Amino acid sequence: MKHFKQLLMLCILCVSVFLAPLNAFAAATSSSSSASSSSSSTTSSTNAATDDSLQRIKQKGTLVVGTSADYPPYEFTTKKNGKTEYVGFEMDVAKQFAKDLGVKLVIKNMDFDSLLVALESHKVDTVIAGMNITPERKKSVDFSKPYYTGHKYFLINKADKAKYKSVNSFKGKTVGAQNGAMEYNLVKQNIPNVQEKGLAKITSLVIALQSHKVDGVLMDEATAKAYANNNSNLYTFNSHIKIDSGGIAMAFPKGDKSLEAAANQTVDKINKEDLINKKWIPQASKYMKSYKKHNTVASYWTFFAKGVEYTLIITVIAVFFGFLLGTLFALMRLSQNKILHGIAVCYIEFIRGTPMLVQIMFVYFGIGAVIQSLPALVAGIIAVSVNSGAYVAEVIRSGIQSLPIGQTEAARSLGMTKKQTFHFIIMPQAMRNIWPALGNEFITLLKDSSLVSTIGVGELMYQTQLVQADTYKGVLPLFITMMIYFVLTFTLTRILNYFEGRMKHAH
Amino acid sequence: MPTKMIEIQHLKKEFNGNEVLKDISEEVDKGQVICVIGPSGAGKSTFLRCLNVLEKPTAGKVLFEGQDLTNISDPELDKLREKMGMVFQGFNLFPNMTVVNNIKIAPIKVKGLSEEEATKTAMELLKKVGLENKANVYPDSLSGGQKQRVAIVRSLAMDPEVMLFDEPTSALDPEMVDEVLNVMQELANSGMTMVVVTHEMGFAKEVADQIWFMADGYIQESGKPEDFFSHPTSDRAKEFLKKVLK
Ligand SMILES: Nc1ncnc2c1ncn2[C@@H]1O[C@H](COP(=O)(O)OP(=O)(O)O)[C@@H](O)[C@H]1O
Ligand SMILES: [Mg+2]
Repeated sequence: MKHFKQLLMLCILCVSVFLAPLNAFAAATSSSSSASSSSSSTTSSTNAATDDSLQRIKQKGTLVVGTSADYPPYEFTTKKNGKTEYVGFEMDVAKQFAKDLGVKLVIKNMDFDSLLVALESHKVDTVIAGMNITPERKKSVDFSKPYYTGHKYFLINKADKAKYKSVNSFKGKTVGAQNGAMEYNLVKQNIPNVQEKGLAKITSLVIALQSHKVDGVLMDEATAKAYANNNSNLYTFNSHIKIDSGGIAMAFPKGDKSLEAAANQTVDKINKEDLINKKWIPQASKYMKSYKKHNTVASYWTFFAKGVEYTLIITVIAVFFGFLLGTLFALMRLSQNKILHGIAVCYIEFIRGTPMLVQIMFVYFGIGAVIQSLPALVAGIIAVSVNSGAYVAEVIRSGIQSLPIGQTEAARSLGMTKKQTFHFIIMPQAMRNIWPALGNEFITLLKDSSLVSTIGVGELMYQTQLVQADTYKGVLPLFITMMIYFVLTFTLTRILNYFEGRMKHAH
Repeated sequence: MPTKMIEIQHLKKEFNGNEVLKDISEEVDKGQVICVIGPSGAGKSTFLRCLNVLEKPTAGKVLFEGQDLTNISDPELDKLREKMGMVFQGFNLFPNMTVVNNIKIAPIKVKGLSEEEATKTAMELLKKVGLENKANVYPDSLSGGQKQRVAIVRSLAMDPEVMLFDEPTSALDPEMVDEVLNVMQELANSGMTMVVVTHEMGFAKEVADQIWFMADGYIQESGKPEDFFSHPTSDRAKEFLKKVLK
């Protein structure tokens, strides 16, 4: 077991060394959402006794706030001059907090159910995301004083208005709620025989609702009203479900008492002046309205363009390193050296035996906990490269092994060294044989890169979700994205075929 | 006194406990042509491959120009292999390269010859075996006899001091055997040192200076072809000759 751990660390280390130069590159290209690679002086002392949380924030000069910006009017995105901006009344809370601390605000947007992990692994300093204070959450994180309490509303299709009027009318029906949100538990506890569907994003739930995959979605009052106001096919009503929530508050890692105390001062001020109801919610609604006018999907082409750009960046870099790793591990697996062979077998089998989604999260949260400033883009590229490397290694190995041994013997008997034989005789022939299989791997990689959207990398799938959230339309952005992916893979296929043809020609 | 080129001392080779070569000691002089004959499975190929250490002997020594090949570093071995050409039963041409590139690659990559020099040598050699018009085709479009002649040329392009042949005509249709044997005969006439594993008894009789008869992991008998073919001494050799000379 210990050996195994060392082995894994070794693999990870190798890859990190490979990718080290990318750090700078990623920092330069990453959008405002994740531009937090400012070398934080976090020595990450989670020790409550020597709580320096406040001092630490002030020293590094930034407050990193984690949120899930698909939750109007709490937090959502809008575009200004083609750039994504985070707005909503909770973003005003965040701004106020950062201002009171005298530091710069950095927003990190991710799935709601990743937020607490991000908090615990110190990827963010605080979470401001419509998060209710509950006893379970209190076990793992600390909360500030609450600044808002909302009722829970059902969002339904307007056509079903007569059918669903109360909690009880959902008996035996399918109801959706956001994973990790308190509504998820409320649905279970309050509706008898309910079929519950949990998804990571409110936008996905609304799509599910519109395509009748769920009969209703339980969500926060303000959000439900926002959707109903912006989409004439939707309707919302108060569920009257009683909640024993202490209200919505900022979450902090356990023990960050000084930061929490500072937050309470901000909250007190907000509550005293009733800033949220008087000023910030009306402001947020204005964003949503001004938005509605020109929120046709087509006007979001910059989002798609940015998504394509990142998808291509991830693909190209991961194909390169995947191929490098694949060649390296294929050779190691074929090597006479038992240790090298063992390492390669472990790597290949382990990576092929675990889901890529888990690997991506593991790299981001796991390794990210060791290397604090690891940007999501780099984590994503590492995970995709390492994953691809394992599959490419097997393709290359089979390509090498399928060549007759006579080829090697002929080359060696001519005086060629092992290296020359591999380089000039084996690899060119193996490449020609495995080109179609290798091409498949690269196309799979392009498609699978969509999985890194879960850790907030702004590639095509992630941008699609932003467009969905902004336009209140679910299917059309997905369709466009599907088309874009198809065009990309189709083009890639043609390019690969062209080279395959050229290699065949040389025969 | 002729100079020794290859000296084989108590050579043993086993594969996972299966003793294929039991104890072989022989010598090859410069300019000599040795024909190794014997029943299939006797270990002839294994023996030949031990000479240039494509197969690492289990025990014993192979001295090439006085240097023990079984006990030197890889780079030294690579260096010495340049001087030992090898021709295989299955040709082993590189299918992704044209004929001329098959021939040029080793001189360029290993010897560091320039493109022009290598091309010049390759074309001269191809002309000698009557294949200069095939220089730019791929091996797939050649007949077996043509392939084997290209393979011989490919080895000769490295300017070796000894050539090892492992049943070079066994994979050929009968009508193509002669075109290859003729090339080999010319090579022998030009003074090349050769070790040839073959089933072509006519060729062995005519061209060999020495016949080594191999069976059961030993060289049972060695001698001049006229002696061996007319007066074989061992029972294994008598039995073998009766079968092949029928
Ligand atoms: N790489 C190998 N691994 C295991 N056994 C082998 C190997 N090469 C040859 N042999 C065995 O050695 C014996 C001699 O083979 P070989 O040298 O090819 O004989 P010949 O060329 O005289 O027909 C055979 O029994 C064969 O099975
Ligand atoms: Mg043989």
